[in-house]
Amino acid sequence: MATASPTISQTEEKSFLRDNWILLSVLGVTLILILYFYNQNAIVTTAVLAAALRQSTPLVLGAMCGILCERSGIVNIGIEGTMLLSAFVGFITSFLLQDALGPGAIWVGVVIGVLSGGLMGLLLAWMSVTLRMDQIIGGTVINILAVGLTGYFYQQGLTAGDKLRAIPLGPLADIPLIGRVFFDNPPLTYLTLLLIVLVHLLIYYTRWGLRTRAVGEHPRAADTVGVNVYKIRYVNVILGSCLAGLAGAYLTLEAVGSFERLMTNGRGFIALAVMLFGKRTPFGAWGAALLFGFATALNTQLQFADINIPHQFVGLLPFVLTILVVAGLVGRTRDPKALGTAYSKE
Amino acid sequence: MKKLFFSTAVMVLAMIFIVACGGGEESAAEGDCSSEEVFCVGLVTDVGQIDDKSFNQSAWEGVQAAEAELGAQIDFVETKDATDYLANIDLFVEQNYDVIVTVGFALGEATAEAAAANPDIKFIGVDQFQVEPVGNLAGLIFNEDKAGYLAGALAAMLSDSGTIAAVLGTDLVPPVVAFKEGYEAGALSINPDINLISTYHPGGLDVAFTDPEWGASTAAQAMDQGADVIFGAGGITGNGALIEVAGSEGTFCIGVDTDQWETVPEAQPCLVSSAMKLITPGVLGLVTQAQEGSFPSGNFFGEVGLADFHEFDDQVSQDIKDTLSDIETGLGDGSISTGYSP
Repeated sequence: MATASPTISQTEEKSFLRDNWILLSVLGVTLILILYFYNQNAIVTTAVLAAALRQSTPLVLGAMCGILCERSGIVNIGIEGTMLLSAFVGFITSFLLQDALGPGAIWVGVVIGVLSGGLMGLLLAWMSVTLRMDQIIGGTVINILAVGLTGYFYQQGLTAGDKLRAIPLGPLADIPLIGRVFFDNPPLTYLTLLLIVLVHLLIYYTRWGLRTRAVGEHPRAADTVGVNVYKIRYVNVILGSCLAGLAGAYLTLEAVGSFERLMTNGRGFIALAVMLFGKRTPFGAWGAALLFGFATALNTQLQFADINIPHQFVGLLPFVLTILVVAGLVGRTRDPKALGTAYSKE
Repeated sequence: MKKLFFSTAVMVLAMIFIVACGGGEESAAEGDCSSEEVFCVGLVTDVGQIDDKSFNQSAWEGVQAAEAELGAQIDFVETKDATDYLANIDLFVEQNYDVIVTVGFALGEATAEAAAANPDIKFIGVDQFQVEPVGNLAGLIFNEDKAGYLAGALAAMLSDSGTIAAVLGTDLVPPVVAFKEGYEAGALSINPDINLISTYHPGGLDVAFTDPEWGASTAAQAMDQGADVIFGAGGITGNGALIEVAGSEGTFCIGVDTDQWETVPEAQPCLVSSAMKLITPGVLGLVTQAQEGSFPSGNFFGEVGLADFHEFDDQVSQDIKDTLSDIETGLGDGSISTGYSP
């Protein structure tokens, strides 16, 4: 049983190779394929991989929101709404402040966008932890609220002035292939790569992470040894929603530079698939997000090359793989035991 | 319970009475559309606002021109939901409007239905292709392939790298396909060896025109492969592509439908021109014909063309401008074909 024992991370690590041999062999094959195609056509390969990373950024942020929430036992299907609302709030903030602050307004927009995500998280936590509401309904409330609020307050023709531009990391950006893909990106993309590592460390190598997983598995046991279940859940949901907020701010302030109604276009729901595919681990989610991003980029590239496979089929590929993973055909996925159930002390 | 029912009924009746009186007063204050002397033109938008800086606004400006030039009495209804098309058209039908303009491909069915039911009212359907001509319904449509052809020729002449791209909405909408086919034919007419990379959004109608991040990311993918002129044709998705190109030195972008210099100011650093559908003069022309009694039925082709070069006027050489005007003449008299057939 996964009780609060200090060896939990060690045993998970030992079984990593055995549990993930399929994943590792897929990684190996992918690397060989990338090198092969790079040898064939360096420019196209680099362009596709750069696009894949870009498309994966909001997905992996959304998925990490899901990971933090679900690891503590809360289902969050409001990621889509949180992203949309933060995208709007971040954009409007930067629009309103651009005269007063100039280029700095974008960064204020990012911060406010992230905080507005956190606020949505607070709402979800209040509904699902304090009120013990059905968590699916709580998430749906957030999704509907976000569509309504952003649609009501949105005005045509607002412009942000600018967006966050790419910052090449000196000589690193000149490395072939890797340079363009990883070291020639706008700031929030770098931040996302850093956050993947940070969330991994948080979940597996800190006391907080251990308690979070304990609360997700067996809140009564955690409560018995003195862990504050409510606090753990509140903080994780709020932190996670901040990440979804960052994904929203990324969309308006770094990727596009303006806001449009419903512009998240289901990315928050795809993030849930990404989270499941990645077995609720940050690096797994990153791999899954890259796969989803790659499918989109490949789709574009096939059309660029006038190869007439119906593009819907290529777009379908990652979803089929997700179903295979969730159905347990590729490796084993296990939900946290207390997922979706409210905890009551009595 | 009975009391509650009774008081509710009284209130409802009172409200109906008030609304009915209010309506009566309003139509007395304005001219009566059913009379011969008063010429009334109503416009029903597609889902969206009248000041959307795009389709709805362009059509409304045509109607406003009819007010100024023909002394028409005008009004509009903004559609909030796709299920309200027919109800909104009926708002004008009930007031005996002379001409009703409906804006957008999506209103085609409702417009045809209303036209069949009201043979005395003239209907103008912007972007609505008419398969079978009906006497009181004219579809204002455009040869998008010709606008695309001009844009493609311009792109091919501006490109140094020999690679140009198009980021498009969805192939489920015929005008988008026409823009693409025209664009490619135009580019190939200038440079038969040009490398054309173009792509449609993979999603359905619900997302294909409202996904600016996909447009931006796809434009970046095209620029990474050397594309130095990018045509963004797909509503907000295309706008995402334009804004992305604006952030990259030495690349041009071409907008679509209206002069996007005005509608997407973020794209001004790259926006050399736009492949335009001239909706405003098309609507005004049809309204004028309706008043004069020479209203055409079936399909009426509006004009297309390239928008002004604005601040890029110096960078577009006289040679390019001459070639473009030759092509425009050729497309007009039929000596140049875009090769696109719907």
